[in-house]
Amino acid sequence: MFSYYFLLGVRSLRRNPALTALMVLTLAIGVAASVSTLTILHVMSSNPIPHKSERLLVPVIDNGPLEGYNPNESLRANSNEQMSYIDAANFLKSGQGERRTALYGVSAPIEPDRKDLPVTSSDGIAPSRDFFAMFDVPFLYGQAWSEADDKAGANVVVLSQTLSEKLFGAVDPVGKRIRMFSQEFQVTGVLKPWQPIPKFYRLIGGPGAFSKEDEFMIPFSSAIRNELGHQGSMSCSGRRDPGWQGLLNSECTWIQFFFETRTAAARGELQDYIDSYAAEQRKLGRLKRAAKNNLYDVMEWLEYQKVVGNDSRLSAWLAFGFLLLCLVNTIGLLLAKYSVRAAEVGIRRALGASRREIFHQFLTETAVVGLVGGGLGLILSFGALALIAMQSKQLQVVAHMDWAMLALTFVMALLAALLAGLLPTWRACQVTPALQLKSQ
Amino acid sequence: MLRMTNLSKVYRTHMIETHALRGFEIQVNQGEFVTVTGPSGSGKTSFLNIAGLLEEFTGGEYILDGVNVKGMNDNARSRLRNEKLGFIFQGFNLIPDLSLFDNVDVPLRYRGFNAAERKERIEDALAKVGLASRMKHYPAELSGGQQQRVAIARALAGSPKLLLADEPTGNLDTQMARGVMELLEEINAQGTTILMVTHDPELAVRSQRNVHIIDGQVSDLVRKTPTLFDANANAGGTHNHVA
Repeated sequence: MFSYYFLLGVRSLRRNPALTALMVLTLAIGVAASVSTLTILHVMSSNPIPHKSERLLVPVIDNGPLEGYNPNESLRANSNEQMSYIDAANFLKSGQGERRTALYGVSAPIEPDRKDLPVTSSDGIAPSRDFFAMFDVPFLYGQAWSEADDKAGANVVVLSQTLSEKLFGAVDPVGKRIRMFSQEFQVTGVLKPWQPIPKFYRLIGGPGAFSKEDEFMIPFSSAIRNELGHQGSMSCSGRRDPGWQGLLNSECTWIQFFFETRTAAARGELQDYIDSYAAEQRKLGRLKRAAKNNLYDVMEWLEYQKVVGNDSRLSAWLAFGFLLLCLVNTIGLLLAKYSVRAAEVGIRRALGASRREIFHQFLTETAVVGLVGGGLGLILSFGALALIAMQSKQLQVVAHMDWAMLALTFVMALLAALLAGLLPTWRACQVTPALQLKSQ
Repeated sequence: MLRMTNLSKVYRTHMIETHALRGFEIQVNQGEFVTVTGPSGSGKTSFLNIAGLLEEFTGGEYILDGVNVKGMNDNARSRLRNEKLGFIFQGFNLIPDLSLFDNVDVPLRYRGFNAAERKERIEDALAKVGLASRMKHYPAELSGGQQQRVAIARALAGSPKLLLADEPTGNLDTQMARGVMELLEEINAQGTTILMVTHDPELAVRSQRNVHIIDGQVSDLVRKTPTLFDANANAGGTHNHVA
């Protein structure tokens, strides 16, 4: 009977085109508003590296001064969550975890070999070699620089595909040299397009969690050796000597750090190491505060950094409130549509339809309205997302539909329609056939 | 075919009780053509609705083709209605946005026949009423008499044992009414029991038996002078006075 009811539902769309159109449009607008905000929320709060997010851990050590320290306040209130060079260098040397990387943002004008091309200003990062394996960074050509390059602080570089094509065209540039920071850097690899959303490895200080891909990567050790200034935020609470070495010896925090453990369970061992490291640094008089040392896995880190702001959550709630209003309207429209069909219900009941069958028929017809509303809602959602994407570069990154949200659009439209259809359908079932048949 | 014993029907509102039927007794036998007459408000329609399982009764007993319908749930009543009964109404009651084919198809869908059997039954039923060539038409494209024929085809398609007709010629002119009546007589001649409510004394005279209802009770149950159609009636139609 389902196919019969479905067919009746499709025919029913034509029965009262104006009312049907109004219903479909109401439903579609409500669904589109919800889906577009939910899509953004979904992308913003998605796990950018699901298969190993629990094994990628950010250490946070409080190296602030005793002045102004309140042990009852959160770490966020007391300090910056980045790391000083001293701690980063110690952690890199520690051998703890399976892999580890420190990184900071760098920016450089790049002079292409070809004299006809202009100098381009590019943004990149300076991570350790492990970065590529830790975050599953995909290579189009070549590979990451070697461990020896890391140790030596060699002038080597990995380019994004976009920058590579801009500098060399669509060829393999591995082995070629580019001039940046007034020095020659040898290309060891070119990445495939790689843009984790959110950009979990560089949430603090940089262009943001939803910024474009990094254009190049040079070794952390090379950036330090070449005294390349960082791009991003820095927090200095104590006294700092002038010059580059002064920065490296200071308690200024400006570096982000990740450990990768072999298993999620190994987090405990890493926590023990960090606690004993902090205790030792306190004994040495470097760390002043008896603060808790924290480890955050990727999802905890995103949550801690409030990547999904309260305004995004509020928008989603408001959109759902709007959907609820649309549902109430749809209920009214369905009541109107079904009330004029009391005679048909009477006839069908007389011809042998039970209340249950009338319920199935009308609910299936409502589902058809929901499907059409879902289709239109999807088109409107694409439109709404395109409009949202035009607002900023960050929104451009997150405002795109994926298969899960596409399916959700239809499921939501269908459920919304069915929910809206329950009362009108129930009322249709209550029709007294004898009354309707006599009144015809 | 149909037996009602001491049947009552009371409509209650918060203010008043209306006794539509009281101590109602009737038996209709297989193959009979019985007309039901009576003044407006006498309980004819209540009787027909109860007979057609469209309304529940308040007290008494109702046996339809050997099945006691008292206390049946909605599903069972609907199933019984679909299998045993066919309806013809004064207002035709066709579904306007379905073709003739699809209108006749409605009761067959609920019966669960497969597509091939439904098609065969629909074509047969429409052929019987002389509308086989117009099965793709819509009700609005037909005259009143033709619409009533479609309603008859729809009632017949499921091979019901009892055809309930509520003033089936009430909205038709004399010529069309005669045609519909002749069709019903033919159907009865083929063995289908017919119970027809009518205001028209001429039609009442044409049936084998006329039941007259006054104030919710059968006041007179008269066997008519033998007619051409009496050959189909069995011994159950020989009562002179039941009430």
